[in-house]
Amino acid sequence: MSERALAERFNEVVLPHLGDALALARWLTGNAADAEDVVQDACIKAHAGIAGYAGGNARAWLLTIVRNTSYTWMARNRPRAMMAVGDLGDLDDMAAAHGTSLPDEDGPEASLIARADTAALEAAIAALPQPFRETLVLRDINGLSYREISAMLAVPIGTVMSRLARARGLLASELGRAS
Amino acid sequence: MTHDDGLPNDPEGIRLMIHALVDGELDAAAALAVERRIAADPRLAAEHARIVALQGAVTRLPRPDVSDAFRARIAAIGMTGTEQQEQAEATESQRGAPSALPGLIAGAGGGQRREAGIRPSQARPSPRARRFGSFDWRAMAASIMISAVLASGATQWVMQSGVDDGFAAAVASGHRRSLLAASPIDIVSSDRHTVKPWLDARIGVSPPAPDLAQDGYALIGGRVEVISGRPVPALVYRHREHLITLVAEPQQDGKTTQPDDLSSGGFSMVHWSDGAFSYWAISDMERPELDDFVARFRKAAV
Repeated sequence: MSERALAERFNEVVLPHLGDALALARWLTGNAADAEDVVQDACIKAHAGIAGYAGGNARAWLLTIVRNTSYTWMARNRPRAMMAVGDLGDLDDMAAAHGTSLPDEDGPEASLIARADTAALEAAIAALPQPFRETLVLRDINGLSYREISAMLAVPIGTVMSRLARARGLLASELGRAS
Repeated sequence: MTHDDGLPNDPEGIRLMIHALVDGELDAAAALAVERRIAADPRLAAEHARIVALQGAVTRLPRPDVSDAFRARIAAIGMTGTEQQEQAEATESQRGAPSALPGLIAGAGGGQRREAGIRPSQARPSPRARRFGSFDWRAMAASIMISAVLASGATQWVMQSGVDDGFAAAVASGHRRSLLAASPIDIVSSDRHTVKPWLDARIGVSPPAPDLAQDGYALIGGRVEVISGRPVPALVYRHREHLITLVAEPQQDGKTTQPDDLSSGGFSMVHWSDGAFSYWAISDMERPELDDFVARFRKAAV
């Protein structure tokens, strides 16, 4: 494929999804300024690898690169934050264990959640353990399907589902407590 | 309480199913079953309402703005390398123009003999090349690309001069590129009833596409070539191990011309017109074989 065709493909595949890329990077790195740096790095990688884009969901393809770039960037710039993430296996066990409690035991009213203010919700998302946070962001902010998230994170769909349920459960109880 | 609706019966399982319902991940049958469970159980209904409310709140969160400055920065990444390409294409069109090299058009020549013929064209900037500025690095980039083409050892392409040289050279380079590409065709089909509508839908033009498999020339598909800035249909036939590209340019003047030999170097090329289309057949087959193909195509296409 010619350089020009590759450049056109870059414009078609990458540019429409910059908003999603920034949103994901913002939630993975924690702030908007770092998100721009990360997305720019990711776009350079995407440009270098555009010939390998084999069609399919362009947004998922770009977000995969953004996610990987975010963690590389975090490891370089915030090694301490990365260490705090902990063991993924433990978290998934935790998610599974949490689910055995009956759903209505500690859940706040839906109306309470709906009234939660933006700052409280953003703080609650930022406080989620990283695997839960990224799953929630990929689903509810980036709008990827379970299958796409499962492919991106290289985990079974069941794990995506339990992480998502756990993330939402934590958010709901946090918002219930805050109000 | 147990159910016979195929859903999990443990609290955790049904909870995940409610999330999946809210996320639109269930098919109609499963969604119906989950909705029935929710309707029958206030605790599940409360959980469902919570999930819907939470998802709505997260979805409504303000999203980062994509500033114009940032978008421009990213778009600039995409432009890297394109300008060199434009320079190279400008040089290529020079090669295709009879005025630049009377009687000799070298597309991807092999060896030093051709190189000697091309060099003068580099020294003579075309209007298009001039438009892209006078930076020395551009000329250097272009000469590097030409050297790369020369070094690739692709079969040389030398043609007689004539008004259609630019078009013929473009047809030839399209054919050469197709041989290097992962697939020489965009629509794979031996069925002309598939190829013709495909071309028609893409560019609104579909030339005759007879299947000559019985004659030893199997239609294997088609693609769209862009020549002189216009999309034109190209059919691809296979004869033993050889590919034949047949470009069909819609005609304006309705003139009919007999097959004209434009072959030279490693490729055979024949050009003719039937009043509706102007055809260019190119292959690395020997001339007599290509002539045979052309004769059979013309007979079948009438």
